[in-house]
Amino acid sequence: MEGNKMLTIKNLHAKVGEKEILRGINLNVKEGEIHAIMGPNGSGKSTLSSVLAGRDTFEVTEGEVVLDGHNLLELSPEERSWAGVFLGFQYPIEIPGVSNVNFMKSAVNEHRKQKGLEPLTSAQFLKLMREKMAIVGMDSSFSSRGVNVGFSGGEKKRNEIFQMAMLEPRLAILDETDSGLDVDALRIVATGVNNLKRPDNAFIVITHYQRLLDYIVPDVVHILYKGQIIKTAGKELALEVEQRGYDWLING
Amino acid sequence: MGELNYIYAPESPLTEQFRCRVPMKGTRQLFIVNGGVQGTTTPFSISLEKGQVMEDILQVISVRTEGSPLEIAYKNTLHFGEGSQARLLLCSHTFTMDKFVTDEEVEVHLEDRAMVEIVVMQNEHNDAVHNTRFNIKAGADSSLKMSFLTLHGGNIDNKVTVDINGEHADVDLSGLYLVDGHQEVSNTVQMNHNVPNCTSSQLYKGILDNEAKGNFSGIIYVKQDAQKIDAYQANHNLLLSQKAKINTQPQLEIYADDVKCSHGATIGRLDENELFYLRSRGIPVNEARLLQQMAFAYSVLEKISNAELRERMENLVEKRLRGEFSNCRDCSKNCC
Repeated sequence: MEGNKMLTIKNLHAKVGEKEILRGINLNVKEGEIHAIMGPNGSGKSTLSSVLAGRDTFEVTEGEVVLDGHNLLELSPEERSWAGVFLGFQYPIEIPGVSNVNFMKSAVNEHRKQKGLEPLTSAQFLKLMREKMAIVGMDSSFSSRGVNVGFSGGEKKRNEIFQMAMLEPRLAILDETDSGLDVDALRIVATGVNNLKRPDNAFIVITHYQRLLDYIVPDVVHILYKGQIIKTAGKELALEVEQRGYDWLING
Repeated sequence: MGELNYIYAPESPLTEQFRCRVPMKGTRQLFIVNGGVQGTTTPFSISLEKGQVMEDILQVISVRTEGSPLEIAYKNTLHFGEGSQARLLLCSHTFTMDKFVTDEEVEVHLEDRAMVEIVVMQNEHNDAVHNTRFNIKAGADSSLKMSFLTLHGGNIDNKVTVDINGEHADVDLSGLYLVDGHQEVSNTVQMNHNVPNCTSSQLYKGILDNEAKGNFSGIIYVKQDAQKIDAYQANHNLLLSQKAKINTQPQLEIYADDVKCSHGATIGRLDENELFYLRSRGIPVNEARLLQQMAFAYSVLEKISNAELRERMENLVEKRLRGEFSNCRDCSKNCC
């Protein structure tokens, strides 16, 4: 069954300083799909995710990005979040002094405000938070700690998936969520993602390795190289890359 | 419990006079109008007898009102007898827009084993000048925790001189200054370690916006042969605008060779990576900046041990950072 159109990226170009990193990306994502983006180091994978989330260190020079009719490139990072974009950071940021609970309470209630809903009471919020923490097996002691402060690599990534569960995005972009994870943590994170998959949302999973895609099975795999998508195929492409590397694609 | 020479507000027969409209539970209040205890012209002095433990927080609320000379100067004394314990909240406010200048000198004496906590809350208008001089003497095994929360004021200058004269004393000073518009706030600390085996700490943090100015000058002085001193000093500043200025001078003056003293100062802006992370979760830029500033302020606020007082101060700081004070001409209306 074909899902509805959700995200359209057309001829996206972006640079940092004078260096052009994205050189004409085209990508379509439909509801219910999981897309994987793979590619060698420096191909622009993280830049693409940052540009989609609205990081202003990159300058978009050409192209368009439309999510459910919203022209994303005209929106601030918070407006993109309200529109349903979620970026799972490769390196989640530590914010000493801001507790996880205050952070998520602000975020969830801002989302509710945008939808014209009343803010959650403290009791409602804590109940929701407990439910969602259970999805990624996070201990409740994490809620009062500073955002990501003193978290291990695996805990930080779980915290990203937890935040995703709290915000229930239309489109989640997971930037190398598997980096720095051992197999157990990887399984927990992947299970979290699979639990959150619904017919009306979509995921873009950016990864170096086939390993993550054993747990999160993609519908489409793209190979990004030098700022362009050079190959798109089904999930078998990831396996092929694992066995043969990227050279045959780059030189082919 | 011995008699205290301060007015226990709820029993006061005075009517039609200034009252704090939002008293905190478990707090006794003393009102000072233009430098004198309300109804008199006498400056306040507080004295605790040996072994006296004051259960309630004593709040001293000083207000400047119209109808008094614009410049006043007065002296107060706080005396804490041997082994006594007290918690004080010293608030200062301006009631009218007159160009007040207040010079206040406070002698503070902690005798041996006294344990004292003092929170100074300064909330005055944009044309008010307020100079405070705290001269503190700390005896053996005494403990002083003192925080300056400078929320608002035209030109506020706090000078603290501490003489640690008895061994095993601990002095913890902290300050949070929120400065914007054309305001200026200065903090000067002279921490004199005159005897061995003592500890002291200074943590001052400032958030400066618009064309505001801040000054910090702190000295840790360790007298000759005052060994085994553990002293710390830090001054951290956030500049929110191009034109805000901070002058910081952390200094060590040490004449003993077996001590542990450290100092440091930083001046920075809000972290862009943090800001993007918060915004990417749907927190609007202004709220995200506020969260960052509250996080910055937190290490000073958390030094207030009474939970209710700490919560009130957090709320005041948040309101102040939201810019709610600047809408009011009369800042005294912003208390809690």
